Amino acid sequence: MPILEARSLSKRFRRPDKGSGFKGALKHLVQRKYKNFTAVDAIDLSIEPGESVAYVGPNGAGKSTTVKLLTGILQPTEGTVRVMGRDPHTERIANAHDIGVLFGQRTQLWWDLPVEESLKLLKHMYGVSEADYKARIERFDELLGLGEFMPALARTLSLGQRMRADLACALIHDPKMVYLDEPTIGLDISVKDRLRAFLRQLVDDGTTLLLTSHDLADIEEVCERIVVIDEGRIAYDGPIEQLKAHYITTKAVNLILDGPADAEALAEKFPHYEWSAGEASSEVTATYESSRFTTAEVLGDLTAQLAPRDLSLSEPSIEDVIRRLYAGELTK
Amino acid sequence: MTHTLAVDRALAVISLKRRLAYKANWVFAIILGGGAMLSGLALWRNLLGDGTLGGYDWDSMRAYMIIGFFTATLAFGGADWAIADRILDGLIAVDLTKPMDFQRARAAEFVGSMVSTVPTAVVGSAIAWLVFSPPAPVSPLAGALTAVSILFIFPLAFEITYLSVLVCFWTRRYLGIMWAREAVLSFFSGIMVPLALMPAPLQIAAWCLPFPHFTTTPSNIYLGRVDTPGALGLIAAEAAWVVVMWFAGRLVFNHAVKKVTVHGG
Repeated sequence: MPILEARSLSKRFRRPDKGSGFKGALKHLVQRKYKNFTAVDAIDLSIEPGESVAYVGPNGAGKSTTVKLLTGILQPTEGTVRVMGRDPHTERIANAHDIGVLFGQRTQLWWDLPVEESLKLLKHMYGVSEADYKARIERFDELLGLGEFMPALARTLSLGQRMRADLACALIHDPKMVYLDEPTIGLDISVKDRLRAFLRQLVDDGTTLLLTSHDLADIEEVCERIVVIDEGRIAYDGPIEQLKAHYITTKAVNLILDGPADAEALAEKFPHYEWSAGEASSEVTATYESSRFTTAEVLGDLTAQLAPRDLSLSEPSIEDVIRRLYAGELTK
Repeated sequence: MTHTLAVDRALAVISLKRRLAYKANWVFAIILGGGAMLSGLALWRNLLGDGTLGGYDWDSMRAYMIIGFFTATLAFGGADWAIADRILDGLIAVDLTKPMDFQRARAAEFVGSMVSTVPTAVVGSAIAWLVFSPPAPVSPLAGALTAVSILFIFPLAFEITYLSVLVCFWTRRYLGIMWAREAVLSFFSGIMVPLALMPAPLQIAAWCLPFPHFTTTPSNIYLGRVDTPGALGLIAAEAAWVVVMWFAGRLVFNHAVKKVTVHGG
């Protein structure tokens, strides 16, 4: 039975339709006009317990609005949501006990309080026992290095510290379903790595996760399934590996030759590969269709005839695939 | 202590601590509130002379003005902007993901912030008491009932503020709402001018609203302008407003929360 199920979920907002300039503002005062804007358009989404799902899309695609619909913050215009059998909007408080939410751009820490006091307040709010609270704080300290800034006031934390503290706040009650809306936004590489390792651990422990991010490394490292949304509609929903297998049909061999590499000459000599020049004059890339040739065949062919000084293999990243999905070049 | 009460207390303490961090506010509140009280007293001294107006002589007006200072300090002392900011900045999105009653949490915070004004009200009133020697309450019972009616100002002030702040869901601005609320409260509570001096239709209109319970009710009880059953009736009316506005707050919030439009992350 799915832990989360959304059916034909839609959200429309009404926006003032003002003309430009002072005249437009005056006209709007007298004659009010509004336009409907569809942020989420008839989405069907089902998540099983223990799944880790990446929810990705370009800016304004409807990711955050969907998260707000799924967490009960917003009321759907149409459609239904059930999280653990409850309507998250009408049964908001009961639902809130079982979910953890992190909005990367909004903190849930009390600004003028030490981190420790915010966590204690949440402990009371969720009715967490003292023993569980201590055990979780110890775990967060071990995995997120929470101890170093527990006594610090929230407003004095760096962004990375704030995000780690916010993550602890979202998980202090050991929620069954966790929503993370851009949890690594603005963080440096080392903090991102630490957070991703923590999230992987969370998923391994069986927590159900819905993650939105613009950082595709977050997605590849943490999630097994990806849902791509664009203009409020789902453009792809399936395993990340399947997305790669389905859409990544080419691979490439990057060669460094002893002398200058002439891509055009090589294209005549090896017409079944696509050739492009590299950054240096001795570098060249041969792209081949993985359904026609095995990597061993291509490597054997090229090393025997070109005797390269060095070579490496590459394939389009998930980022390339998603970029093409956004651009409408690929369809499900 | 249950978890819910622990959360209420913690939220109230957080709000109180936040206010206590700005100590200069106390001094300014005493100077500004005390200044308003002094100028009011000077005005009424000249107006009343040795006579009476609306049943107030100089003795009773001294007590009225000091009670007015005390209740106005409480009534206008709550952190109304803290609630408005949560709605306008979109932090309400975070609140709605927590297993807490939004209204109850804001009430705890608001009362916590009002408590921070108690030292200002007490110190300012004590100084005025020593300087102007107003009459004592007409009886110990009247004194006790005055204290009870003043205690009701805490929930009343929150509820009036909360109901007005919820309008931000529609207006997306708060400043005008705040000005309107403060003007209406000052006028109909009797903080500005005693209700007894207003035309009868305005007095009737005022007593149909919760506002007179901020200044007129406690001062009427204190000065013996109502007898004991009358005082109990006024306190019962205050209590009724507390209950009615609490549920009105819930009703409006349940409707207002459908207007939440927090865009972006």
